[in-house]
Amino acid sequence: MSAALPIPVIQLLQVLTVAVAAPGVTGVIAKVEARLQGRRGPRIAQPYYDLAKLFRKEALAPEQASWFFLAAPLIAVTCYLTVPLLIPVLTSYPLPLGYMGDILGGGFLLALASFVVATAALETGSPYAQLGSSRAKTFSAITEPVVLFVVFTVALLTGTDLPYALAATVRSSAGQVIRPAHLLAAAALFMVILHETGRIPVETHTGTNEFGMIEEARAFEHSGPYFALLKWGGQLKQLILFTILANVFLAPWGLASTQRPGAVVLAIAALLAKAVAVGCAVAVIDNSFAKLRLFKITEYVSAAFLIAVLGVFTLYLGGG
Amino acid sequence: MDPVQAPGVYEGAANVIAAVMLLIEFGMLRQALARDQIRLYMAQSALLSVLAIVIAADRNLPDLYALAALSAALKVVAVPLVMRRLLGRTDPDEGEEAPGVAGSQTLSPASAVLAGIVLAAYGFFCAGALGIRSPAAPVLALALATAMVLVAFGLMIVRRDVASQAIGFLALENAISLAALVVAAGLPLILETAFLFDLLVAVVVFGMLIRSHHTKAESLSTADLTRLRG
Repeated sequence: MSAALPIPVIQLLQVLTVAVAAPGVTGVIAKVEARLQGRRGPRIAQPYYDLAKLFRKEALAPEQASWFFLAAPLIAVTCYLTVPLLIPVLTSYPLPLGYMGDILGGGFLLALASFVVATAALETGSPYAQLGSSRAKTFSAITEPVVLFVVFTVALLTGTDLPYALAATVRSSAGQVIRPAHLLAAAALFMVILHETGRIPVETHTGTNEFGMIEEARAFEHSGPYFALLKWGGQLKQLILFTILANVFLAPWGLASTQRPGAVVLAIAALLAKAVAVGCAVAVIDNSFAKLRLFKITEYVSAAFLIAVLGVFTLYLGGG
Repeated sequence: MDPVQAPGVYEGAANVIAAVMLLIEFGMLRQALARDQIRLYMAQSALLSVLAIVIAADRNLPDLYALAALSAALKVVAVPLVMRRLLGRTDPDEGEEAPGVAGSQTLSPASAVLAGIVLAAYGFFCAGALGIRSPAAPVLALALATAMVLVAFGLMIVRRDVASQAIGFLALENAISLAALVVAAGLPLILETAFLFDLLVAVVVFGMLIRSHHTKAESLSTADLTRLRG
């Protein structure tokens, strides 16, 4: 265990870990959720089987759709696989490509992925897909200020807006953890993640009820490998958001601080444990609250906004 | 740009508690039912006692432990009990919500929260403009207390029922206790206790107000009173 892994290999491992683990994390959450509801639930590997099945199927496209309809899933997955290069997935020290983009850069990539999927949904002419993409865009516009204020808080806390810098700041002392600004920003981000992964307040992420579907509805017209890519993209997005929450805000411990293979393997295990823990918390919250009416979403977002704004206020006076 | 320095663990904890108290205040602002508001008031008062304990441990002030216990007994147990009984007595059906409380909001919850954010911002910037920089008075907790006072005023203004207004007033008292606790933690115990008993007087006055209003208007809503112009 003395040999050090080359940096590019670790960087590649960050992407591979997220890519391979994402369906598994989704499977675990589905299992936990089923248990909470008193069902036995699907096996944990079910999302992998679903993806494998879809990849073997034929791909169809609506007649009027242009090349963009088929390119969108590829672009979206590419975006999702680029984000793990920018955030601390496995290592506490920044990897060379980690400074390609800051938190806003990562946010742009996630937004670009969501944008191309929405545009592809518009290409189809299917009312449900269009409804889903229109709602997804509207609601992401109203959660945007919350995300911005969280970024402001990070900037005030660290003097930069690099995810690695915030993780290092949080690790540096207990005083950095128990400060209102940090806790408020983390809480606001968690609320945004609950919304973005289609848990509460209005969506049903399992996708059996068209009126509760927002993100899921956008993929209605895709099929075969393209649909598989979209599903996989959703799982990737979920794991990426959980990673940001756990490794940057809540618990940036257990990351590899050296290049030794043992440390990196431990970091992979820690990441998976943290993602599953966040996922269980999300499943419990999802199952303890009733879904709201669609337009009640402003109440939920206003609460998240309040928390994020308070975070910045507390820093304005210093000592936050 | 330089990062904002982190406070110590104790001060950080005190600030977090104060921030959560402000968030609970916002919870009261958007909560529709009086009994949920009372529950939130209990949580807020309990946090105030926890804050007193944190400050007592930090600054080595044993008096504050007694104050925390007294404050908890009064605000977490006694006052909510009295408020519940007052609201229950005005109500023919036990357990049901008192008339005129539900639907007394003049703003939608989201707008009320946004208006509250503006009020809180005003409080923050006012406290910041005072320019207090001293180790004895943590300016952040003071600013949070100022924001809480203003949001409590907002709660009393945007609701049209006497019960919510009373709870707004009690929350206001919590905010002032918070400010007193962080600015003058070493205040003699006898004075602090005297302030606490002031609260009881307020509860009695509000109790009279709620009952007399209910016997005259058969509702807790103050909407009918707008017609009474001189």
